[in-house]
Amino acid sequence: MNENEIQLKVQALVDGELTGPEAKEWRGRLETDAGLKELHARLTAVRGLMTGAELPRTLPESGDFHWSQISKAIEHEERQAKHLARPASGANWLLRWVLPLAGVACLMLLLTLQQTTRPDLGISLGSDHELELSIDDLDVMTFNTGDDAMSVVWLDYSLDLQQDEMDLWLD
Amino acid sequence: MPEKPAYSLAEDPQLVDLAKAGDMQAFEELVSRHRDRVYVRAYSIMRNEALAVDLSQNAWVKAWQRLEQFHGEASFPTWLSRIVTNLCLDELRRQKRARTDSIEAMEESTGPIENRMEMETLDPIEGLSREELRERIDAALAKLSDKHRTVIVLYEFEQLEYREIAEKMGTSIGTVMSRLFYARKRMASLLKETLKRDGLIE
Repeated sequence: MNENEIQLKVQALVDGELTGPEAKEWRGRLETDAGLKELHARLTAVRGLMTGAELPRTLPESGDFHWSQISKAIEHEERQAKHLARPASGANWLLRWVLPLAGVACLMLLLTLQQTTRPDLGISLGSDHELELSIDDLDVMTFNTGDDAMSVVWLDYSLDLQQDEMDLWLD
Repeated sequence: MPEKPAYSLAEDPQLVDLAKAGDMQAFEELVSRHRDRVYVRAYSIMRNEALAVDLSQNAWVKAWQRLEQFHGEASFPTWLSRIVTNLCLDELRRQKRARTDSIEAMEESTGPIENRMEMETLDPIEGLSREELRERIDAALAKLSDKHRTVIVLYEFEQLEYREIAEKMGTSIGTVMSRLFYARKRMASLLKETLKRDGLIE
């Protein structure tokens, strides 16, 4: 046991934290060790001075004001607690669940429609009309109509195509 | 609901029963009786007037909310004192988290000094009233670090055991003993200094 541990044991004896055989053993050591006895006396004196030595103080605000602050805080806390405990009303339920879900559904519908809608070419199509559009090569477009037994192929070429390339293509 | 007495004449347990039943006037009477004591404990630990007032108010709010948990094992003021002490310890922990590492390291460096300092002899002081002595002790307490002051307040004023202090401060019993020993040595040294200066001891 080092010096520090011995000091702490003496302090524990002063504070009544040692009981039974341990307390008896340390009281015995005090009798034979003058240094320990001296430490015990000093610690006892400090303890004696400290006992009940907390300086009385008065709250630095009026009692009425202090109470008004406390009662306001209590009311606030109780309102909060009631608000959290209250079951959601019809309107709250609508705002919390139905509207966001409706929003998500609308968004999904819109995305689905965008994927299936073809580009608006300004042509009114009947049920038996067929429009083929090559997305990869926008220079070629075909328009078929069963009613008129007609097919139109629209070729749009870029200006930078070489004349020989165009000839070859037209052949 | 218990029968309503004249609040100022009622004993604490009677007021507590009324307050438990929702009687705010009974609780107001309890606040009026014990507000200074709650404030004193908060101030002893925090050493900051505004903070001590805030923590005292919070303690009363907590007391109202937890009244059902009070079964009279300790007196009502003792129970309140525990609540405000816990709030103060929470606040000290919050402040500690907010401190920079360098300040923290500086505080911890008190160890070697701790080992060098001798415990001063403090004999009963003649010619000094209890009130004057309390003022000097209060001034000395203000010079201790938060952790040393807290441990001495909890032991000497709140009258907690080592084990209870360790639980409240989230530390070991050994650390509590060590801090308490250092705090007492420092208090003895500070008191001797001030008493010498005032010519009360040689």
